[in-house]
Amino acid sequence: MAERVDYFNKGAEAVLYRTRILGLDCIVKKRLDKPYRHEAFNKVFKEYRTRVEARILSHLKSLGLNVPAPLIVDVSRGILVLEYVDGVPLSSLVDSMGREELGVVAGDLGRQVAVMHSNRVYHGDLTLANTLYGGGRVYIIDFGLAGYSDDVEEYAIDLHLLHRNLQAMHPGIAEEFMNRFLESYKQWYSGAFEEVRKRFLEVRVRGRYVDRELRKTVMRDRYVS
Amino acid sequence: MPLTYKFPYDIPLDRELISLGFESTSHTFGVGVVRLRHGFVDVLANVNSQYKPLKGGLHPREAALHHMEKAYPLLKQALREAGVGLGDVSLVSYSMGPGLGPCLRVSASVARFVASYYGKPLVPVNHAVAHIEVGRLFSGLEDPLVIYVSGGNTMIVAARDGGYRVLGETLDIPLGNLLDTFAREVGIAPPYVVDGKHAVDICAEWSREFIPLPYTVKGSDLSFSGLLTAALQKARRVGGEGLGAVCNSLRETAFNMLVEVAERSLLLTGKKSLLLVGGVASNTVLKWKLEKLAEAHGIPYYGTPPEVAGDNGLMISYTGLLTYLYGVSVEPEKAVVKQRLRLDEGDYPWLRG
Repeated sequence: MAERVDYFNKGAEAVLYRTRILGLDCIVKKRLDKPYRHEAFNKVFKEYRTRVEARILSHLKSLGLNVPAPLIVDVSRGILVLEYVDGVPLSSLVDSMGREELGVVAGDLGRQVAVMHSNRVYHGDLTLANTLYGGGRVYIIDFGLAGYSDDVEEYAIDLHLLHRNLQAMHPGIAEEFMNRFLESYKQWYSGAFEEVRKRFLEVRVRGRYVDRELRKTVMRDRYVS
Repeated sequence: MPLTYKFPYDIPLDRELISLGFESTSHTFGVGVVRLRHGFVDVLANVNSQYKPLKGGLHPREAALHHMEKAYPLLKQALREAGVGLGDVSLVSYSMGPGLGPCLRVSASVARFVASYYGKPLVPVNHAVAHIEVGRLFSGLEDPLVIYVSGGNTMIVAARDGGYRVLGETLDIPLGNLLDTFAREVGIAPPYVVDGKHAVDICAEWSREFIPLPYTVKGSDLSFSGLLTAALQKARRVGGEGLGAVCNSLRETAFNMLVEVAERSLLLTGKKSLLLVGGVASNTVLKWKLEKLAEAHGIPYYGTPPEVAGDNGLMISYTGLLTYLYGVSVEPEKAVVKQRLRLDEGDYPWLRG
């Protein structure tokens, strides 16, 4: 069925191969056992994350979001075959983008994350390295840590992770990107945006050794208003 | 013969500098003396004393009293070992934070006194940066991904764009705190550490069994509080002999979480080496896991040895020296302490490159 399988890339928990199946360009994602993890843990992780990723990808695809469609799933072996997406991670592009284009991609990402959250899905590892930009579209990939939740906490954590990733890896454009992202997110999120925004601020000040006054202000708002 | 390390920064200097540093952010009071000459750093003295509570956890006031008692004898011992007098010292540094207020004040007071009485420049040092810098000095690694785990911190750090960036950190309690609190609550500590082994590690040797416990990784961030609660509940239910399995599972789960986020950050940043620093760096199981991780990626790994893994005076004196070389010092009346001092908010000129 597969004509040729080529090594494509290596992520934190999986190896990716590129191949063609029935004339379709595909990525084979195989989750690996970790040498530092006891085998009992390896099995649980591999199976659980493969299952979750497949389920969520097909749900998001049906909502019309830009994610690779899952084609074949083999949970016990930790294998997921995905539609190939031709693109480059935003993480390698944003630093050299013009302001206008930056606003457009940030907005596109904001819209999709908002639609995702509106459908109770959180990503769990939202960073620019987990996006692909190609053909004028932003794709979101890598849903191994994703899940379903009604709790705004999980949505706020997605925003927090993205913000922290921006600050750590792209300090020059971090705030600009985040502002444009949130503008668009606000428009598309179907729940109460204010709740997510507040929780997002709260998660930020939860880190250790954050200035006490800042933390007090944010936490007080939670109980007073 | 003192231990000597190659100074990793290229700063031309035609004289020798001797730095005296005081550490007292938490349970340890430490005095370190280092000398920089001809591009090499000599460790002249590193004497430390830990406050060990007889029961319960660390009380800031009790710890501070311990530090006050030890400050003078330890300073005297350090100077004797180093073979220098206070007049020979080129600068005085102290741990500015983050840490416990009453403890921090001790090293700041001693440092202010020495600096003003002998007319020496006074340099405040961020405790977290000191852990990282001394790790870089000892390891000789040029630009590593740093995993900093201690009783008060758990974070993944990398240098980027002239600063230290936090890639991932705990959203609630730190790893060392998780292990200590668990050990204390189930009654196997204090003492928390016996012969270099943590109470949880000793207890984990009773069992090879694994019980599922909550595993909370959020991107590159970690959360240990749910794990702690669940482990304590399990411990109460099984009691006695079953405790081994709980300790084993708690340790395995917590370390797996940390190593997983470390791996994610490693790929994200593309750093080519791995450095483990902080009090929990002495843990052999964690070391083993990180060695495996480094091996899988074909990169060098270095874990700081026990004498500089925990809090110590040496790291403060060395980082003080480094800071001073970039012209940073403060007047004694402005030498404050800060309980809350974030690693990613400071200015570290030597990273500008």
